[in-house]
Order: sequence, then structure tokens, then C-alpha cells
Amino acid sequence: MTVQSPPALTSKSDAPAPRARGRRPDFTPLWLLTPAALVILVVTIAPILYLVYTSFTDYSQRTLFTGEFSYTGIDQYTTLLSSSDFWKSLLRTVLFTAAMVAGSMVIGMGVSHLLTRLGKVMRLTTTIVLILAWAMPNVASSLVWNWLFQPGYGVVNWALAQLRIFGDTTSLNWAGDPAHAYAAIWMLVVWQAVPFIALTLNAAEQQVPTEYQEAARLDGASEFTVYRVITLNFLRPTLLLVTILSVIWDYNVFNQIWLFSGGGPDDATSTLGIFTYKTAFIGFHIGQGAAISVVTTLLLLGLTAFYIRNLLKSGEDL
Amino acid sequence: MRRRSWIPNTLAAVFCLVWVFPVYWMINSAFKPRPELLSTTPHFLPTSPTLDNFVTAVTQDNFLINLRNSVMVVAATVVLAIVVGIFAAAALSRFRFSGRRIIMVVILAVQMLPGTALLIPMFALFNSANLLGTYYGLILAYLATTLPFSIWVMRGFFIAIPVEIEEAARCDGAGTWRILFSVLFPLVAPGVIATSIFAFIAAWNDYLVAYTFMQDQSHYTLPVWLASFTNPVTGTDYGGQMAASVLFSLPVVVFFLIVQRNLVAGMSAGAVKG
Repeated sequence: MTVQSPPALTSKSDAPAPRARGRRPDFTPLWLLTPAALVILVVTIAPILYLVYTSFTDYSQRTLFTGEFSYTGIDQYTTLLSSSDFWKSLLRTVLFTAAMVAGSMVIGMGVSHLLTRLGKVMRLTTTIVLILAWAMPNVASSLVWNWLFQPGYGVVNWALAQLRIFGDTTSLNWAGDPAHAYAAIWMLVVWQAVPFIALTLNAAEQQVPTEYQEAARLDGASEFTVYRVITLNFLRPTLLLVTILSVIWDYNVFNQIWLFSGGGPDDATSTLGIFTYKTAFIGFHIGQGAAISVVTTLLLLGLTAFYIRNLLKSGEDL
Repeated sequence: MRRRSWIPNTLAAVFCLVWVFPVYWMINSAFKPRPELLSTTPHFLPTSPTLDNFVTAVTQDNFLINLRNSVMVVAATVVLAIVVGIFAAAALSRFRFSGRRIIMVVILAVQMLPGTALLIPMFALFNSANLLGTYYGLILAYLATTLPFSIWVMRGFFIAIPVEIEEAARCDGAGTWRILFSVLFPLVAPGVIATSIFAFIAAWNDYLVAYTFMQDQSHYTLPVWLASFTNPVTGTDYGGQMAASVLFSLPVVVFFLIVQRNLVAGMSAGAVKG
């Protein structure tokens, strides 16, 4: 880790810290960082390195008892890349992530804009509702979803039956059919994702200078044009960050799928996360699971790097 | 403009009804007796409200033990993350030194990893170190994500303290450590509280790590208890499950409302994942 590198004081003029003017090297940051660096080294860096190492071995259930495993080179990766289960999981993950991000971004943008047009009471009510949905632990909301969509007594099936469009839906088993399982999980994830998106965008939307919007209105622009041309333009940086964050989170969604459908029926909702988990902790092919995990992480690395760069850049201004 | 204000208000009302429905349904179901839960026409309010479901939930085997486990592990995680993290946060915000940027990249990158990327190697390492199924192992696993993110969030609070305050203390002859303990830490206290709440929520909500690492029911934490809430005789007990969900979610919702203003900043550092 880099923490060990001597914290030689730079005397850059942009340094905000008063100590930057010190004459002799100040080792204070080193002392301050050491405890955290040690903990992070042991609980984070070491496991990540070990994950990569394990992915080049045949670490399996047997290893858990005997401790024996051997180096197998890139075997795990070649097995993985020639496995149709992997490619199917990857495709599912990409498509489902796109659907969840699109859904939550569209609704989130709508709600964010809606919030700017509301009176005090309605605005407060909507904010509280958003925070409630946001605050629900996802284990609890997944259980609530199971109950909402329960075949037989679930309120969603009852409501659909009342519409009389789909026939008698009372005993429709949502987790038992791929399309329905995806639809229900999509609703669950979008339901929990919208509050963060809506509130973050709304915070940014309130910073948009009103003069521009008023000028456009005077020029006869419709509300939609004002939103599209002026508001969206100001929102662009926030939109970008929120979208990337949504992609990262939705790509890694696990609990909601695991607790609603368990990846079923017949692996139909088995995304990369579920596929990795089942490989590593149900089949106990830990080496193979590690390889999937490494590939999963690498696939997202570009986006993660972009996001971190952005966050650091905005952090430097502070 | 004014005449059309009913449109946004109506849209907002519809949105609120849809969005609040799952929460309302959870609470509503928690108070319903069994015959009302299992009726073909749903009752939108319990006709004969009962606390039976809550009694079932808290008198379930292991509820108290699992609650104790959760409180113990979460408290240890929060305290360690704050105590270890606050010094690092001070270093990363009040000092400039080489390697600072890379440390921050590491801190942020950890938040973006898929859950299994830490779960798999930790499982293997803890297996060799005999930490699987122990509370120490669980606390270490939680620190892996809560410590980096606590450092990041607290760093934000440190940055908000004006440098002039520090300079004034220095002029009065205070040394670095004196400034840290008597000036900076007291000023950053509200941020520490907010960060503790974020760390609490992250650890309290974890299901996957506890489910994978803890190998018998008496060692489970509340989320695992909640997810495995079934009645051995009658199958899934939805009333009990909803009552248990209410109890489990309540502290998180209360804390969310407290840190509401800081939520967005915490989220972007990966505090509470969706």
C-alpha cells in the first residue's frame, strides 16, 4: 500500500493545510493513517489480492477441510469463458441492469421535476414518502414484495384480477415464471432506487438559475422546451454521476433477486451476482467463483474508474 | 400557471400513493389477524387489529439472541470504524502528502466492488484462520466496507472546517495533536454522529455476509433471522413476517430521518446500497 511511502510534505502553493509551511518533514499524517491503513490492508486489500490468487487455483470444497489446493493457471478462466451459463448470466445482467437504470432514471427525473412544481404541503409529503421507500432495508422490502405478489392472497394479484383484463390472476405465481419474476424484481429495485435519484436531481435542479427559464418562457417556449433546453443542460453533470452510480448499484443487485426468486425459475433470473454466489457457496467451486468475481469486477472497472475520477475532481475543489 | 397547478399536485398524489403502498401494506398486514390476511378480498384496514403478529415475532426462537448478535456486531463495527477512521479522515483532509490520492482511490473503489469480490476470499481466509462463524470474523468483514466509507464521509466534514480556526489555535501555541483533539474533533462531532448512523445502517442491513459466514441459527443476525422467518407448521407466516419487518426496519427509518440532510453525500460514497 501506498500509505507506507513517506508523507514528505509538499510545499505546493495550492495546499490548503496550514502545516504545509512547516520546515522539517511532518510525520503526523503517517501516524494518523497507520491504524486505518493496517485495517484496510488486512480486511480489504489482502482479500482482494487473495481473490485474484484463488481464481488461478482449483480451490474447492475439499480445500475447506484439507487446506490443499493447487495452481492451475488460467484454467478457471478458460472454463468460465466456454461456459454458456456464464454468458447467459452476463447477458441477463446487462439487459436487466439497463432496464432497471432506465426505469429508475426516467421516474427519478420526473419526480425531481415534479417536486419543483409542488406546494409546500405536497412537497413535504412526497419527500417523506421518498425517504420511507429509501430507508426500508432491502431484506425487509424483499419480504414485503414476496407478500405483495403472493399467489393466492397477494394484494397485487387481487388488484389485477379486479381490472378484468388479464382474467383471474389470483393464483399467479410471479416467482415461478421468468418474465413475471423480472417484472416484480424490477419494480422492487426501481421502487428503492427512485428516492435517491429524485432527491439528488432535485437538489441540483433547485440550483438552476431561474432567469434563464423565465427568459425562455417570455420568448414563448413551452414548459417542455424550457425543461429540455435549459434545466437538463444544467443537470447534465449530476445526471451523469447519478446514472453511473445507478449502473454500478443495479449491476451488483443481489439480495432482492436472491430473496424474491432465488435466481429461479431454472436460473432464469440468475444474474452474475447470483451465478457467482451459487458457484462459490452452493457448489463450493471457490476457485471458479473467484474467477467469475474477478471478471465481474473487471467488466465494471472502466465505469468505476470514471466515477472515482469525477468524485475526486469535485472533492479537490472543496 | 396558477390555474394548472392541480396537474402536478394530482401527479404527486398518485405517485405518493403508489410509492407508499408497500410500506403501508407491510404495516397494515402486521396488525391483521390470520383470517384477515388469508382472505381472498384484501382488507385495506385491519377490521380487528391485533398485536399477535408482533408477539409471534419477538417470541420466536432466536429472536432475542439474534437481536443481541446484531446489536453487538453492529456496535463494534461502528465504534471501530469511527475510532480508526477519524484519524485517517483528518490526515486525508488537513494534510497534503504523496500517496494521498491513491489512498482515496482505494477507499472509493472498495465501495464499488460486487459483494462477492470480498465475500469469496474472506470466506476462504476466515476458514483457514478459524474465523468463520465467529463474531470477530463478521466484524472484520463489515469493517472492510464501513471503514473506507466512514473515512470518506468524515473527510468531507473535516474539509468543511475553515483552516483559519486551525491557524488561530496554532498562533495560540497549540501543537498538532492538541489542535486535533481540542479543536478539530469537537467541531467534527455532528459529522461523526451522521457517519456513525451510516455505518450502523450498512452493518445492520447486511444479509449476505452473515448468511454466508454464520453457520448456525443462534449465531445469525437479525436480517438472516428475518429472511428465514417461517412457521415450521403452517409454512410462511406472513403476518409474523410483516410484523418482524416493521420491527427490523423501524430503527433504520428513524435514523434515516435524522441524517436526512446528509443522505445524498453519504450515498454517493456508497453508504447505503439500494
